[in-house]
Amino acid sequence: MDIRFQDAGAAFAGKTALQPLTVTLHERRIGIIGLNGSGKTTFARMINGLVTPSTGKVTVGGLDTVKDAKAVLGKVGFIFQNPQNQIILPIIREDIAFGLKNRGLSKSEIAAAVDAVLVRLDIAHLAGRRAHELSGGELQLAALAAVLATGPDVLILDEPTNQLDLKNRARVEKTIAGLKETTIVISHDLALIENFDRVLLFDGGRLVADGRPSETIVRYRELAAA
Amino acid sequence: MKSLYVETNTILHRLSPRTKLVALAAISVALFFTRSYVLLAAAAAAGAFSYLLVGLPIREALRRLLPVFATIAAVAVFNFAFNSAEEAIVMLLRLTTLMLFAATVTATVTVASFIDEITALARPLERLGVVRAADIGLAAGLVIRFVPEILDRYAAIREAHAARGLKVGFLTVLAPLIILTLRDADNIAAAIDARGFRRQ
Amino acid sequence: MSTRNLVLSSLFAAIIVALGMLPPIYLAVFAVPITAQSLGVMMAGTVLGAYRAGAAVLIVLVLVAIGLPVLSGGRGGLAVFAGPTAGFLLGWLVGAVVTGYLSEKLVNAEQSGLVQTVSFFLACFIGGVVTVYFFGILYLGIVGGTGISKAFLGSLAFVPGDIFKAVIAALAGRAVMAGYPLLPQRA
Repeated sequence: MDIRFQDAGAAFAGKTALQPLTVTLHERRIGIIGLNGSGKTTFARMINGLVTPSTGKVTVGGLDTVKDAKAVLGKVGFIFQNPQNQIILPIIREDIAFGLKNRGLSKSEIAAAVDAVLVRLDIAHLAGRRAHELSGGELQLAALAAVLATGPDVLILDEPTNQLDLKNRARVEKTIAGLKETTIVISHDLALIENFDRVLLFDGGRLVADGRPSETIVRYRELAAA
Repeated sequence: MKSLYVETNTILHRLSPRTKLVALAAISVALFFTRSYVLLAAAAAAGAFSYLLVGLPIREALRRLLPVFATIAAVAVFNFAFNSAEEAIVMLLRLTTLMLFAATVTATVTVASFIDEITALARPLERLGVVRAADIGLAAGLVIRFVPEILDRYAAIREAHAARGLKVGFLTVLAPLIILTLRDADNIAAAIDARGFRRQ
Repeated sequence: MSTRNLVLSSLFAAIIVALGMLPPIYLAVFAVPITAQSLGVMMAGTVLGAYRAGAAVLIVLVLVAIGLPVLSGGRGGLAVFAGPTAGFLLGWLVGAVVTGYLSEKLVNAEQSGLVQTVSFFLACFIGGVVTVYFFGILYLGIVGGTGISKAFLGSLAFVPGDIFKAVIAALAGRAVMAGYPLLPQRA
């Protein structure tokens, strides 16, 4: 599944958030790093069309994020920084089912899909729990399940290990490693992405480095120290 | 948050939700066409009978109705004192009847079927572009999801103020509570849109 | 309605529900319960403006109707609408819209803090007190059988408490506007 940025940039209220860039992503594990406000979240949000390009265009598997917005949303799942805000219905099972509604599935098909994803992530015991009662790690896995249930080809995770304790962090890391979908992870947690296929470094709204994790992470450390 | 639906399987539960809601509407209109003590008392007895049928323990059944009945009784006493005994009795019987039948419907219709009925009712409005019928269920879910988070946040803000030695007043907590809660709206909306539920 | 507005209205509805779960402010004890919930209705108007405030209150009333105990004291269900004071609940809906409309009209970012607070108070008083009582008294007088004038006199006892709430809602509205402005401007 190729993700192509063709001279694509973004601006909010006349202020440039991301300088136009051209890049093609086709690896299975891609990391995105950079300081706060570097444009990395904007870049990620452009992939699923939450942010539309002000110049150029972005395509996912040949689909344009503006012209084929709905199809792109179906292909690209997004897991936001704070899982608290990602789970929007009171019971985990309801929340996972939510993304499957309006897709012409029957009630039993929805229930089967919910069960399947709960088993896949090994969190079947959370099905009937109230979101309010779950720990950060459990919420993160539930949020991931809700997105995986919709069957995306590409997954974007924004700071998935932020606020997690070591045990939950390891659990989420292991889950990410086992995903068969193309996975793009935005993270300050450098250990999480050090074995990825490719890492992009953003700074001041520009893509400043792009390559093997070992190289880009070194650049990032230099940048942060400067 | 536990709904007031009662999980038993009585004859009243098996009636379709729509039948019960239409019947309740009809009763509420019919009650205002008579001032006969006999008719109103018979209606109140029927209401009490139906409410007893839903299978609630008697204490719980009474406890639920107490706040509403208190306002009905208070206004009846007011009527007795300042208007007439007749007005007081008619009003007491009418509203008590209505309360009993309404409580019966609430106890025998699940939240999900209620939402289905309201959604069906909203369909014509959807065609006019006023609302999206599916939003009603989403809004209800969002409220139930976030009430406990808001209560936690209220406690956390109070604690933070106390820790800084600030006087913890209702008002000083209120504004940060609203701001912190509403600031999540953008992220929650993004999470909804990203799952493609509402986008056309 | 955009997703963002739907979420803002739902979150404010959740705030109104949560306010009903906090210990009530005791000011008077009679037919109308005095709680922070009606304060939430006014604040919805000052913070969100007419359209979204109306939606927020409508969501609360729908939750009541479908059998959730979201009103203060754990009240809920259709029986609530059978009480003689149900007119006040309908008044909430119109009152929130009026408060919101007046807030949009009267308040803007260029005014001094004092002018903003006083304008918010006026919006809360006309929307959250006068409008709510108009519907409440009308309903109480007709359905409760007391007659309009007696319903009016009987309700007066609660007005001071609600004016006090209008002051709080105005101060909160102004504080939120300073920290996180959401109110749409209406020329």
